[in-house]
Amino acid sequence: MSHKYSIIWLQGLTCNGNSHSFLNYTHMPSFAASFDMLYHPLWCGAEDFMSLLNSDVTFDFLILEGALSHDERLIQRFNLPFYEILDTLAARAKYIICAGSCASFGGVFRLRDPEKITGALFSGKEKGGYWLEKNNIINISGCPVHPRWLVETLVALHHGEKVLLDEFLRPKEVFSYLAHHGCLRNEYFEWKVDSKQLGEREGCLFYEHGCLGPMSHANCNKILWNDISSKTRAGSPCLGCTEFDFPRRALYETQKNMSLPQTPFGISKRAYYSLAGVAKSFKIERLEKKLIDEND
Amino acid sequence: MKMTKEIIERIEGEATLELEWENEQVSFAKIKFFNYRGIEEILKKRPLLDALALTPRVCGICSHSHAIASVLAIEECYKSAGEALHITQKAKDIREIALNAEKIHNHIKWYFFTILPELKRVGDTTYAGNAFKDKQWFQAQSAVMQSLKMGAHFTGQWPHGSFVMAGGVTCDPLKSDLISAQGCLDAVIAFCEEHFYGMPLEEFLSFDSALQVMSSPSALSYGIDEMIKHGFDRLGRSFDRFLALGESYRYEGSLKASKTTVLGADIKYVHESLQHTFFEDKHKGYTYSKSAMYKRNYCEVGPLARLMVSKDALMRDFHRRFKDAALTRVVARAVECAHLLWRTKVLIDHINLKEPSLIPPKKDIHSLSGSGIGVIEAPRGSLIHSVVVHQGLIESYDIITPTVWNLGNGDKQNPSTAQKALIGLNSFTKADFILKSFDVCSVCTTQ
Ligand code: SF4
Repeated sequence: MSHKYSIIWLQGLTCNGNSHSFLNYTHMPSFAASFDMLYHPLWCGAEDFMSLLNSDVTFDFLILEGALSHDERLIQRFNLPFYEILDTLAARAKYIICAGSCASFGGVFRLRDPEKITGALFSGKEKGGYWLEKNNIINISGCPVHPRWLVETLVALHHGEKVLLDEFLRPKEVFSYLAHHGCLRNEYFEWKVDSKQLGEREGCLFYEHGCLGPMSHANCNKILWNDISSKTRAGSPCLGCTEFDFPRRALYETQKNMSLPQTPFGISKRAYYSLAGVAKSFKIERLEKKLIDEND
Repeated sequence: MKMTKEIIERIEGEATLELEWENEQVSFAKIKFFNYRGIEEILKKRPLLDALALTPRVCGICSHSHAIASVLAIEECYKSAGEALHITQKAKDIREIALNAEKIHNHIKWYFFTILPELKRVGDTTYAGNAFKDKQWFQAQSAVMQSLKMGAHFTGQWPHGSFVMAGGVTCDPLKSDLISAQGCLDAVIAFCEEHFYGMPLEEFLSFDSALQVMSSPSALSYGIDEMIKHGFDRLGRSFDRFLALGESYRYEGSLKASKTTVLGADIKYVHESLQHTFFEDKHKGYTYSKSAMYKRNYCEVGPLARLMVSKDALMRDFHRRFKDAALTRVVARAVECAHLLWRTKVLIDHINLKEPSLIPPKKDIHSLSGSGIGVIEAPRGSLIHSVVVHQGLIESYDIITPTVWNLGNGDKQNPSTAQKALIGLNSFTKADFILKSFDVCSVCTTQ
């Protein structure tokens, strides 16, 4: 058996949501068998933080949660400016893993001061976040990160596998999918049947309710959340929380251009609108009805 | 005068506790929270419904609570503009199930991940512990997960699920979803019966005496023994003044209690103070935590407060013996968890799926102007969202979180609830534990 990999978990400006999401990992004992959590801010780890900081131990993963800043008035930990801690630990980590959209792109909290609050390598979509360059960073965006995205990336690296990354340094196995894939409303999307109102099982949320599923990279509807559901399965639109521009404005409204919604990721306007026009010209009776009609 | 400054670790976020000492006793305490994030500012001028997506990001451990407080505030905005929304019982039940899932998970997490190891540390200050090496930690983690999975049948995901909307909820569960959710809940109950309470839930809920709880071996009775051993049955007392502004199935309306006297309360007497914060004075301020008071008094909020205003027989017995000591506060979370497990089982059993999940408002949200306040009982206590909207855009958004009630900063003449509980202690280790008995959430506080 290969040796255990060590983790230090560090928080920037955060809501702790990624830590709590990680705690939803179903096979935690199996994870713990291969990893040592040297330090986590929320529960008892193997080491004391200050001794870790002041030592010169190297370790495998620095997991970052939360937006970052060089400004010590914006963030400090252990009565120290945050950058002192981050720079010290980053220099000794084999990989830096950004857990969540805040550490990846700046996320929600970046909006307060986008000049000073950023992700590790990105500020929104622009390169140049807390660091200008660094070649050992992996972004696992999401607000929050899904526990499986995080754990499975760590385990793959532990096995010595190469993790393929997209242009935003996100693992392709997760982020080549769109949140739209696997959504139970796909057929309504195909035939352009809008969800008349929220709170119902029928209809797609793309046309009126702001769903960003077709342009958001993530496999939410493939692996599901809490092993059971997802936003769209609970009848709410995808908020695009894995993307660099999360949170967009007016998240519950579909942004339209001349009354047409945006096209899905990587599909030309011509292709999408021609197909949409054709689909819309048919009225599919089955899709206009309730999924389960008690009176049938 | 001696002064010490220590970091409080292993809480939600981080706090610094500055203690003033006289004759080897704490004479005053300052509780400092840094790392402010500014959600209230970020919300300004955004479309009203964005609050439903952004306020859950205030806090990773109580995101459903924020979503629900936010939707209540938004629904009040409609009311203030002349359209009172009808929320079906089904939607109300689903909101309550979601909130209960969050509370149940919170209390289990807090007791097994925080209180038990911290008690070991009080007994032996060199105790480090290692969650990944502790069997019970994994069992508790599994129960926590099941509790959240139960909720996610309705909320899509936890944390940061989206499932509420003005007029109701967005999910429309099937009977089969209820059966699956009930299965998850049963797993949580089984964990609690075996480990937390050491007896069947029903039996635990029938108790009205502390001695009954203490007589059966369990994680809870172990914790109680340890707390008594270290004096927490006397230490950590505060004003013995409680407040529960949000509603609950166990009492009517908003209530307050002074010792065991329960009276009605009204949100109009809530007052938010910026005293000692960086908001009031950049240089003299020392924390980002605002303070909340009721009629200029500090009150304790949270599970103990809820059980005291609902005149819970078992908690009253603990209170009769130990007053509002740290022990009583800790036990209250365990007792509340038991009630919530039972209540949630009943809710899932009785929910009427035939009702609509949501009845959309008639008024176009883009022309909505008005204001509204949403109050709920979050895991740690009363949570208040208050919003002013103009033509569909947020003019101002104000959030008072439970930690702001319990862990604000007053001054020597008028200390806050937690400050009062710390004064007179003779060691930092004890102060650290007593602070944690409030289930500190610095994340919420520095929203
Ligand atoms: S609701 Fe969203 S994710 Fe589901 S099919 Fe429609 S666009 Fe795709």
